[in-house]
Amino acid sequence: MTTPSPTRQESLGSVRDLPTVTFGHRSLMWWGTLGFMTIEGWSLALIAAMYFYIRQNFLTWPPITIPLPSVTIPTINLVLMVASVVPAWLADRAARRLDVGAVKLWLLISTLMSLPIPILRWYELWSLNVRWDTNAYGSAAWLLVGSHATLLILDVADTVGLTLFYWFKRMPIKAMSDTSDNSFYWYFMVAIWLPVYLIVYVGPYVF
Amino acid sequence: MTNPARRLPPNESAVTEPAALPDATPVTLNEDVLIDDARRLEMTWRDGGGLWGWLTTVDHKVIARRYIITAFLMFIAGGLEAGMMRMQLARPENTFLGPDRYNQIFTTHGTTMMFLFAVPIMTAMGLYFVPLMVGARSIAFPRLNAFGYYTYLMGVIFLYVSLFLNMAPDAGWTAYVPLSGPEYSPGHRVDVWAQLVTFTEIAALAAAVNIIVTTFKMRAPGMSLNRIPLFVWAQLVVAFMIIFAMPAVAIASTLQLASDRAIATHWFNPAEGGDALLWQHIFWFFGHPEVYIIFLPGLGFITPIVETFCRRRVFGYTAIVLSNITTGFFAFGLWVHHMFATPIPELGQSLFTAASMMIAIPTGVQIFCWLVTMFSGRPRLTTAMVLILGFFITFVNGGLTGVMLASVGFDKQVHDTFFVVAHLHYVLLGGAVTPLFAAFYFWFPKVTGRLMNETLGKWQAWLFIIGVNLTFFPMHILGLNGMPRRIYTYLSQTGWGPLNALVSAGAVIIVVSVTLFIVNAAMSWRSGLLAGANPWDSYGLEWATPSPAPSYNFLNTPVVLGRHPLWDTGSPLPVVTGLRTDRREVLVTTTFDAQPDHRHKHPTASIWPLIMALVMAELWIGSIFTPWAVLGGVGLTLLCMLGWGWQSTAETDVERVATEGRIVEAA
Repeated sequence: MTTPSPTRQESLGSVRDLPTVTFGHRSLMWWGTLGFMTIEGWSLALIAAMYFYIRQNFLTWPPITIPLPSVTIPTINLVLMVASVVPAWLADRAARRLDVGAVKLWLLISTLMSLPIPILRWYELWSLNVRWDTNAYGSAAWLLVGSHATLLILDVADTVGLTLFYWFKRMPIKAMSDTSDNSFYWYFMVAIWLPVYLIVYVGPYVF
Repeated sequence: MTNPARRLPPNESAVTEPAALPDATPVTLNEDVLIDDARRLEMTWRDGGGLWGWLTTVDHKVIARRYIITAFLMFIAGGLEAGMMRMQLARPENTFLGPDRYNQIFTTHGTTMMFLFAVPIMTAMGLYFVPLMVGARSIAFPRLNAFGYYTYLMGVIFLYVSLFLNMAPDAGWTAYVPLSGPEYSPGHRVDVWAQLVTFTEIAALAAAVNIIVTTFKMRAPGMSLNRIPLFVWAQLVVAFMIIFAMPAVAIASTLQLASDRAIATHWFNPAEGGDALLWQHIFWFFGHPEVYIIFLPGLGFITPIVETFCRRRVFGYTAIVLSNITTGFFAFGLWVHHMFATPIPELGQSLFTAASMMIAIPTGVQIFCWLVTMFSGRPRLTTAMVLILGFFITFVNGGLTGVMLASVGFDKQVHDTFFVVAHLHYVLLGGAVTPLFAAFYFWFPKVTGRLMNETLGKWQAWLFIIGVNLTFFPMHILGLNGMPRRIYTYLSQTGWGPLNALVSAGAVIIVVSVTLFIVNAAMSWRSGLLAGANPWDSYGLEWATPSPAPSYNFLNTPVVLGRHPLWDTGSPLPVVTGLRTDRREVLVTTTFDAQPDHRHKHPTASIWPLIMALVMAELWIGSIFTPWAVLGGVGLTLLCMLGWGWQSTAETDVERVATEGRIVEAA
């Protein structure tokens, strides 16, 4: 059991010809993104659990003096969010083809479609028809919608930033992989909104 | 054991593009070329000089070293607070600390030890050693790593500035509502606690993602999942636990408690449909796994130390891995045993009692594996090994009282007494701090290049083991005699005086022991014996590189042929070549079999992590005083993201892009 001296080495092969930029689950950034998705998805799940825990303290839901939430704006925003997956997906495909022109185009369309979403989110909060400080129902509903809103703002900012960079500066080729991950994150953002929408806006009509 | 064949793992997956990695015959590398490579790598990887270089470094070893030193200073601060409490409680009706000051001191002690010492120092050990142990040039996300450290540092400064402003939290480290709510805790003391927790949780989450991705994607070729060192397995399981536990307390403290206090939400206000018990559920859903987050890394330190000093490969590698994973799962199913004194349905009580007893099994399995390993070998009683023996005695004791506390009837009897204080300190000092000291003696030479003094070390080890037992054993009896925790004084008629005096005497021994450690570390860092690459003749990859490890960690990426790389391969070290020396590159391998997959361009030094942490500090600290600080903070965060992204996309190198089954060269 002799310790090899750091300068006594035997090469079993060279990694010189391996690629330096990859897409999807091969790349480190994809794994990092997945890690943060897990944290954020889990956080929302915990908040949803607390929402149902608080539900036990009320006979009716929403509490008797509170009107049901309005669903018009939340439903419009939901449709917009689902639709915005299309340009995100096309940007992802373009990035994998290394097609800079198409990436710029689809990122721009993604930006234009996603910018109204956080703004509508503001009206969506008021569509709850209750304030956060009215009662625990209000606190729970606001936190569930609001915490998704925080993530949403950061992700929209990420898309806007990426679009600005692509249009106004020379981007390195590795940013193609980042573009793909940005779309990946957006799918997640839309996917976790679906259960939140059902719980907060549709749920009170059902139970 | 015969040496396995010296070649790269066969490439079975079809992910890698064809013919990227030809099956080469082994070639002994020319030493002059290697020395030349070392010089070039140093140019590429070393930090800039001066204050700017110091503030912008993203070297995982430098960041983790700062992390460890800061967290150790917090151990000393928390220890001094404990000393003040023991001074106050040494005799009945003492007047050294008044009730208000005492509340702040015990809350700061608990908060410091749990949030600013234990979790950070354990993850910091992982941030230092995981990349070295898996044979990687660096960590997966070095800038995120630096951001995590600075966020944690802001939390440290925040709490201690508050303490000196007489604004330190005073509702206990568990901050139970309604005591911590707006009605019973006006002022900003509890707000400090609530926001401080968020600082440390963000830091822990950043570390967890880093450790997971480094372990999954950056292992040396050949280090398949069933060859990962047990230290790294423990860190990996803990990282996953952090991801599922920490969000709970971050939500509870910042989004619920702080907002109940600042913007009048009603989460914990029963008058408006809120629920005080909800706090206990969320807090302990985090708080119980927290205990395992703290001592599983401690268990991870033990295996390599036992193996090295017993000259034996560990018995039951698979059993230990499975024990770690099982503990990780069970840890999330026990939280209610902290709430047996609340109205919990009987079925719930039985379930959580059973789960709390069951978790002793996987830990027991690990202990038996180490005992068998030690019996089959010939242990060398170095300081590290003495501490490991101390771990067995102290930790098993703490585990046994844990099983006692799992029983509802007994738990109700001793709830909130010193029995619980004794139990938790036995587990944490025995299961985490004792192995941590052992780890310091064992890996100190890797960090500093010098060995610690063994004579002083053994004095310290024995004093620590004796001191811990003398301090905390009598607390069991005090608890059984009815002494409640968190009281600032007691009457002499209670009869608790003599045992309390003994406990305080034990605390003095711990202080002497830790002082000896500090003296030893300081002296050895300056003038200890030079260690060389592998002073203990151990087997991990961290010992295959000089001590201290150079900025680029490894000259060439080592290839692993078994679970004990250096014991399995002997000399010369098998490596793969081909990572560039003129820019920072790390090797990414496949998740299961660790086959070389691609080279990844690694980030360089950056000031953005520090700026981002400052912005976050502005956001959280400001929000205590006005909700508008959140708005400003979000705006600044968006600007920081732009700046960070700008720097990340500044260089346009020619890359080999693997996409849609082909490789394209493009810039």
